[in-house]
Formats: sequence, structure tokens, C-alpha cells
Amino acid sequence: MADTYDGPILEIDRLSISFFTRLREIPAVMDFSVAVQPGEAVGLVGESGCGKSTVALGVMQDLGKNGRIVGGSIKFKGRDLGAMSADELRQIRGSEIAMIYQEPMASLNPAMKIGRQLMEVPMIHRGSSEKEAYDRALQVVTDVKLPDPKRILDSYPHQLSGGQQQRIVIAMALMAEPSLLILDEPTTALDVTVEAAVVELVKDLGKKYGTSMLFISHNLGLVLETCDRLCVMYSGEAVERGSIADVFDEMQHPYTQALFRSIPLPGADKNARPLRAIPGNFPLPHERPQGCNFGPRCDYFEAGRCDVGDIPMAQVPGNDRHATRCVKFQEIDWKAPMALEATKEKGEPGKVVLRMDNLKKYYEVAANALFGSSGETKVVKANETLSFEARESETLAIVGESGCGKSTFAKVLMGLETATEGEILLDNKPIQSTAIEDRDTKTISDIQMVFQNPFDTLNPSMTVGRQIMRALEIFGIGDSEDARRKRMLELLDLVKLPRAFADRMPRQLSGGQKQRVGIARAFAGDARIVVADEPVSALDVSVQAAVTDLLMEIQREHKTTLLFISHDLSIVRYLSDRVMVMYLGHVVELGTTDQVFAPPYHPYTEALLSAVPIADTSVEKTHIVLEGDIPSAMNPPSGCPFQTRCRWKDRVPGGLCESEVPAQKTLADGHQIKCHLSDAVLAEMDAVIKVAAE
Amino acid sequence: MDPLSWGEIIARVMAQLTPVWIALVLLFVVSILFKRRLGLYGKLFDSMIGMIGFALVMFWVFTGLFGAMGLIVTHDSLAQIASMKNKVPGTAILGVEEGIYPYYLLGGDNLGRDVFSRMVDGAWVVMQIAPLATVFAFMVGITLGLPAGYYGGRLDTGLSFLANLILAFPVILLFYLLVTPEIIATGIPNYMATFLFIFPLVFAAVLLNSRYHTRPSLRTPLLIGVLGVLGWLYLSLVSEVGSKVHILPGFADLFDVPSGILVVFVSVVFVNSPTVFRIVRGLTMDIKTRDYVAAAATRGEGPWYIMLWEILPNARGPLIVDFCLRIGYTTILLGTLGFFGLGLPPESPDWGTTINDGRRLLRIYLHPALVPAFSLLSLVLGLNLLADGLREESLRD
Repeated sequence: MADTYDGPILEIDRLSISFFTRLREIPAVMDFSVAVQPGEAVGLVGESGCGKSTVALGVMQDLGKNGRIVGGSIKFKGRDLGAMSADELRQIRGSEIAMIYQEPMASLNPAMKIGRQLMEVPMIHRGSSEKEAYDRALQVVTDVKLPDPKRILDSYPHQLSGGQQQRIVIAMALMAEPSLLILDEPTTALDVTVEAAVVELVKDLGKKYGTSMLFISHNLGLVLETCDRLCVMYSGEAVERGSIADVFDEMQHPYTQALFRSIPLPGADKNARPLRAIPGNFPLPHERPQGCNFGPRCDYFEAGRCDVGDIPMAQVPGNDRHATRCVKFQEIDWKAPMALEATKEKGEPGKVVLRMDNLKKYYEVAANALFGSSGETKVVKANETLSFEARESETLAIVGESGCGKSTFAKVLMGLETATEGEILLDNKPIQSTAIEDRDTKTISDIQMVFQNPFDTLNPSMTVGRQIMRALEIFGIGDSEDARRKRMLELLDLVKLPRAFADRMPRQLSGGQKQRVGIARAFAGDARIVVADEPVSALDVSVQAAVTDLLMEIQREHKTTLLFISHDLSIVRYLSDRVMVMYLGHVVELGTTDQVFAPPYHPYTEALLSAVPIADTSVEKTHIVLEGDIPSAMNPPSGCPFQTRCRWKDRVPGGLCESEVPAQKTLADGHQIKCHLSDAVLAEMDAVIKVAAE
Repeated sequence: MDPLSWGEIIARVMAQLTPVWIALVLLFVVSILFKRRLGLYGKLFDSMIGMIGFALVMFWVFTGLFGAMGLIVTHDSLAQIASMKNKVPGTAILGVEEGIYPYYLLGGDNLGRDVFSRMVDGAWVVMQIAPLATVFAFMVGITLGLPAGYYGGRLDTGLSFLANLILAFPVILLFYLLVTPEIIATGIPNYMATFLFIFPLVFAAVLLNSRYHTRPSLRTPLLIGVLGVLGWLYLSLVSEVGSKVHILPGFADLFDVPSGILVVFVSVVFVNSPTVFRIVRGLTMDIKTRDYVAAAATRGEGPWYIMLWEILPNARGPLIVDFCLRIGYTTILLGTLGFFGLGLPPESPDWGTTINDGRRLLRIYLHPALVPAFSLLSLVLGLNLLADGLREESLRD
């Protein structure tokens, strides 16, 4: 029956899903339609809370006890999934429809060997023999390009790295050769270079097995790289649907346009194409407006047309299967350039505030955890000879993947750890070996930090105002409760939050609002140096732009030195003056933004740049996929830290890369690079990102 | 007079418990009306299990409370009427005087005491000891568990080892040792009380100091006031004229705790605090990795502020649930102590002692043991259901 079927693999028709809480019914997905043809990859894009994961769970018929499909149908190969019995569904799940989740470790059973877990799939669904199942597992593991498949099959999940685990999850999904693969943010938990490799793999496997895919992501760049068609969701509804080329180049919905305008594109100039945040907030499911959900935030809003009645999907004439949920799409001039706001003058970098000189941080780790003191100890070199300086009102970006030592560096700077060697000079005063409890209040309030995870950055059991006031108290600002309260309200103004938020609990705030409170708290003591540790990476794209702009605006006003830690090169290029690239504790490249983003690159920078997914069809990228994973800092490779994954290694004569750590060499004024490649070879490098001439 | 029929017994017991019913109905009506504004407590009224548990617990709380006020009991729980020995429920008292309740509603025990009144008074014994002892156990567990989890390393290894040591010690043997006259003579229970009961003081002092140390003008009077009151209570509790720990002169001693009760307190706190310690330690290790803890550290907060104001409030969910469960364990422990005749005076109306008394004639007369046993069961069941309800509701939103 399945083999003779030639319609769409998955056909979702006017699907509505609601969750029922004790207070009310919360519609999570409304009137959602999409079709996935055989062999096609469809992307589902939207911000968190827009209902994209709910659609995936709906397809799996796994909505929990609160969720229910209240309208429409989901047809898989022409059969209605909603009408199937639990038994029939069990037959289909895992064998015909497979799902890959965000967190690889959570999808694998930690108590079972990889091989066993993989072999279960054919043994359960097809009744294969153990031998057949093993052979199949071996083949699939080879297909997902894992080294030494036999050893992998014989290991437990915790013995593998995050990237390897995600490959195993993909392998498991492919074991039964499903017709439909649902990927729910499969690479969000991974590093960029690993992400690039996994995405490449998914694309190849999709072609090889002819599997249809439903790819859920918040990242437009990733969708561009992996999918044939995409569907943009906003607040429970599909707002635009069409082929990648149609939607990216001829978008027909204001939300899609706003989304594109709020992400920084590496190909564009930041003055000519500033980021534009979407005004307002994402509506809560029970507070959706009448008519168009995007209405209140839309630039083209017209009272009387956009806020009455339900708005249906309309076909865009001239394009194939391109539909939009906008009543005005034929009137809007989509090609009109975006209204330029007054270009803001960038503050000139002033005097040097912070100087790092050959900073080293080593950790001693007991090799034997149980009898720590007696066994030999291993040294983890978290930071190796870090030297740089940061000036007043300058943004220095620190780029690198997890394990590169950027968090350790932040800890040493903040005084949570003390340096092993070298110097940190704050206003020419050494602070590297003063732990935070010995620092004076002025030093502490001068260096503050903005944290990554907005859901973790505020104490959930204290009101927002109290938390900011506590910071003021600690920094000795204001001599009475009233004075501090006044200052706290001013800080809320500074980060553009309503003053009423002072008495709210953190759980009543959205992610972006929490991050603003975090910024207000960091600036409570008029910080001069702010370490921002991936401050926007956990936020939705439309909010990212607003928070980034806020940080830059405060920086302009207060002449703050911003140390911006990030792995997102698009945003780094957009806002930073200088960039420092780190790998395994070493600074491999340091220079102004233009120097780092143009050839010659350090080979690692080159790979990082190529790994960034870019949501622009006119950009061409060189594809460089790094082999393997980042080596452990416990056991770094000999010689150059990057030599195990470097594609330029054979251009250095005499195996120098494996024997010697390269010296820092200066290429141009202020542009340093740590590489053995000769100047002649470096000069051969091509730009990784090219914007096609229009 | 004729003995009462079962229907009449039930009706009269219900009538006797009137103040409890009124209080329960009032509590539930008010709570349900305002449940949306009452946080986690209000959410409890969305769960059937939680409501049943809460009702059972509050039934016994009110029974104990009103019983102690003399609103419920029919007779003095210690008074014996010789003719009422081992009489079945509903037996009328012969030659009753004016003003004395004419029936033993739930019968008489082997000494001719009223089982119903003893049940009610037993509830009061539990209400006095169990929650307070659990609070003390939590104070000890929290004050030690937070630094163990936060600092880790040797401190953690040492404290955890100590906790394991106590947990490995046979509880009943420990109790027997503590009440042995020779051991009491050495003053060990008193010294233990002196040590264990200082923790609430330490806790309060650190809590307030870490929060207000930046504002000395507020901190100093506050600390003096709070520590003064707590210190006096503490000294009154541990110091006793004639015992090994005799710090306060008799006139300044606010109250005297019978040495038996003190031993009960000490043993309950001693065996419960290691478990609390382990829970707090685990929660601390989890919460200390959060960014808001790092944020507090980077603005130069002291370790105790971080532990008590950043970590502890966010560990409250599991701790509240465990608190309910632990009152239940303590109640059972009290029953066990009473059953073995440890600590509490032999005439005490507490349920454990009463069960033990009734046990001897259990084959012939069931009721003297059955009533307290059922009371114990329903209270602990209520506490467990309450904890279940709280856990379930705190996970939902």
C-alpha cells in the first residue's frame, strides 16, 4: 500500500491544536496547513512559542494529556493519523516517521550501549535477527560518518561528544528508513562548526535515502541551507509558505520581512543596513489580537482591514505554491528600501582601560577522582598566553566554540578565579591575582557581566526591582532605600523597561525583558567594562536586535568597554570594533573586524566563517567542513592546537604544525595571527563569503 | 442507662467535634474563594489528593488545638474510673455525677481512662512536638547542607561522612541509649540539645547579617533584637536547674521542658537532620551552577548571602514537600518512642504509648489500641497526600 502511494508524504490540513489548562483553552496552532512531497525538505521557521514544535508533536500524535487536536487533519501517506489506534500509531512511529530532538543526550538511553539501542529499531519494527540488525547498525553508523563504527557501537552515550551523539540520534532515526524525518532544532545545542558538519550530513542523507524532512528551526540561515520549501509561523499560524527562493527573495508577508531585517547579514554593511528590531512583544496565546496576529507590530497595519475577522491564506499569483496570510500583500511595495533611521555616530575608542599581558590560567585536575591527593594530577591549560588591550568605548569580540577558554578568561577577569601567570591591568593596576572578595567595591562595580541564559540570569524568587536595588546596595550607591529605589527606576528607564516592572517577579517577564534587567543590573554601579557572555544567543531573532541595539546605545552613552563573547559571527561583525578568535585556550587571530573577516585568515577563522548559516540567497560561501571534534583541553594535540582539523596543514613543510606551537606574528598593523603558514600561502586564501553581484 | 448504639456513638462523636468541623469548613471556604491569590497554597485546592490530605491534616491540627482548649474532650485523659475498665465504646458511666459527660464514647482502656479523650489529647502531643522538631531538624540540615553543597571539597566529604554515620546507626538503639539513666547522668542528651538547638540561632544570625550588612544602622539593632529573643528562648530551652547544662538562673528560665521531652526532641532532630542535610546539599549543588548565583558572585556578594538568599529560596519547592513528609515520619517516630516507653511519661496520652497500653489485651479488647492506631494512620496518610498534592501542583502551571 505504501509503495504504490504517490501523493504527498505528509499533508496537514487546517490543523488546530489547543492545550487545556485549568484556567482556559490555549490555542497553540490554528488553521495550519502544509504538505511535504516525497523527497522534499520543508522548513518550519518561527520564534519560540509560535507553535512549530507543537505541529511536530501533533504529527507524532504525542501531545500529552493537556493537548488535543481540535480541528483539521494530519494525513500521512493519505491515512489520517488522528483516526488511527494506538497500535497502528506505534507501528508508524519510529519506522515510518522518525523524530530527532534538540538535546542529543536526552534522546539516548544512558544505560544502554549505542549498538544495542540502534539494533532495537529493526528488531522491534521488522523482527530482524540480531545479526541483520547489527549489520544494519554498522552500515548506518558508517553512513553518518562516524570514525571507527565498531568501537562506537560498543560504547555508551556519555563516552561520545555532543556532535557524535547527535549523529547517533540521526543514525537511529535512519535505521528504519523512514519516509518522513522530523528534525526539531537538531543543531541548536551544538557548536557552529559541528552544526555545519551535521547539517551537511542531514542534507546528504536526505538525498541518499530520499527521505522527506520537516525541519524545525528558528534559524533562517540553516533553513536556507537545508530545505527546499519553507513555512514561516507566527503566533500559532502559518503566515507565509513557499519555496525557499520565493520566500527569501520575494517575501510577501510583513512578518517575514521584519524577521529578515532583524538579523545581521555578514555580507552587508552595518551603516547601510542597520538591524531593525520588531517593535512590541510576541502576543501571549490568550491575548491574541482580533484579525491579523501580527497587526499590532506591523508597519503596514491599517485599522479596519487588518483587525477584523480571520485572515485567510492567499495564493501569491505567479509563484508556485506560494501563499501568504496578509490582506494587503498586493499593495505593499516589497522592494522599497527600509527607512533609514539617523545613522548613529560611533564613539571613538579612547584610552586603554584594560590590558592583558601573557595571561595564563591552568587548572590542576586529579587524574583519579576518588583518591584525589595521592594520584598524579593533570594540567588543563584553559588559557594560554592571552595578550590584548581594550580601550574605552570599544567593543572587543571574543569568538570561539565551547571549550575554547572564553568563559575561563571571563572568570579570571571577574576575579572568580585567579590567574596562574601573567597580568591583567585595569587602569595600570594589576588585578590578576586579587580574588573577588579582596577587590574593592570600585573595582568590582567597574567590571560587570551580562549572562547568557535569560531564564537563569535573575533569581526567580526576588522581584526585579529588589534585585537591582541589591546590586546598588552592594556597590554602595545611594544612602537610603528611597535614593536607591529612585536610581533603580532610572536604570529601568535606561534599559527601556516600564517602571511598573520593578514589582514584578522574573517569571512574569519575557526572555528579552529579563535580559534587559540583567543589563540594568550590570550597569548599576556604572560599570566601565562589561563582559557580555553570549547575551543574545538564547533570545529570539526579533528580540536579539533590540537587545543588541540597547547594549550599543548604553555603550555610546557611558563610553563602556564591551567584551562581547559570542560564537555568532554575524552579530560579531555587526557590532564589534575588534575581534579575537580563540581555539583551545590560544588566541589564534586578533585584529580589527575588517581584518579578521577578510583574507588572509587563520585556518580556524576561515572554517568558522564558512560554518555560519547565512539567510541570504545572494551570498555564496566556500564550504569547509571540519573533520572531527574539538580536542579536549585535558589532552591537547601537540604543536599547533588546530593541527588535527586544519585543512592547510600540508602546506607547511617539515611537519612543523605537529611539533611546534606557532608564534604570534603580525600581518598588518594590529592584525595578529598564530599560524605556521608562510605569507605567500596566506596571500592565496580566498574570501569565504562572497556576495553575488546583483 | 443503656449503652449507646453505634449510630448514637457516631452522632455524639461528631457533635463533640463540632468546633473542628466549623473551623475546617471556614478554612476551606476562605481558601477556595481566594485560591488564585494564595500562590502554591492556593494551587493546592486544585488537586483532589492535596485537598483530602490537607483536610486530614487540618482535622487533627484543629482537634489537637481545640482539645487543648478543652472544647472537645469529654473527660480528663488521665482520670481513671474503675468501673469503666476495658468497657466497649458507648458504655454509660454508672452513678454519674452532674456535669460529667455520661458516656465513654469510644470506650475505656485497661485503667478505666476515656479512649476518646486520650485520642484528642494525643493529637495535641503530636502537634506540639512533631512540627517543631521537624523545624529544628530542617534548621540543622539547611545550615550544614548549604555550605557542604556550595563549597564542596573536604567540607562536603567530612559532613557527608558524618551524616552517613548517623544514618547508619540503628535508630531504636540510639533512643534506648539516650534515655538510659547512666547516659543522662553524663549529660550527653543535654549537651546534644545545647549543640543541636543552637542552629536556628546561627541560621537567623547569618541570614540577617548577610542580607543587611551593607546597612549597619538597620542591621545592628535588628540582629540584637532577634538574637536577644531567640537567645533567651534557646537558653530557657536547654538550660535546666539541676541538669548538666545549667546556664540560666532559675528565675530567668522562661519554661522548663521535662527532660523526657527534651530527649525526644534531641533524638528526632538527630535522626532527621542528616536526611535533610543530604537533600539540601543536593539541591545546592544543582542551583549553584545557575547564572544568578554567578551574577551574585561577580558583584561581590559573600558566600552566605548567596547560599541563604540566592540558593535557598529557589530550593523551597522540594523542601516544602519534604517538610510535610518529614512531619509524617516524625509522627511515626513519636509513636515508636511512645510505644517503647521512651522519653514521654508513662501516663502520657500520646498515641504510641496508648497503642502500647492497649496491645496487652488486644485479643480481648480491640478498641483501646485501634483508636490511636487509626488516628496515627490517618494523620500520616494526610501528610503524605498533602505532600503529593503539593509536589504535583508545584510542577504544574
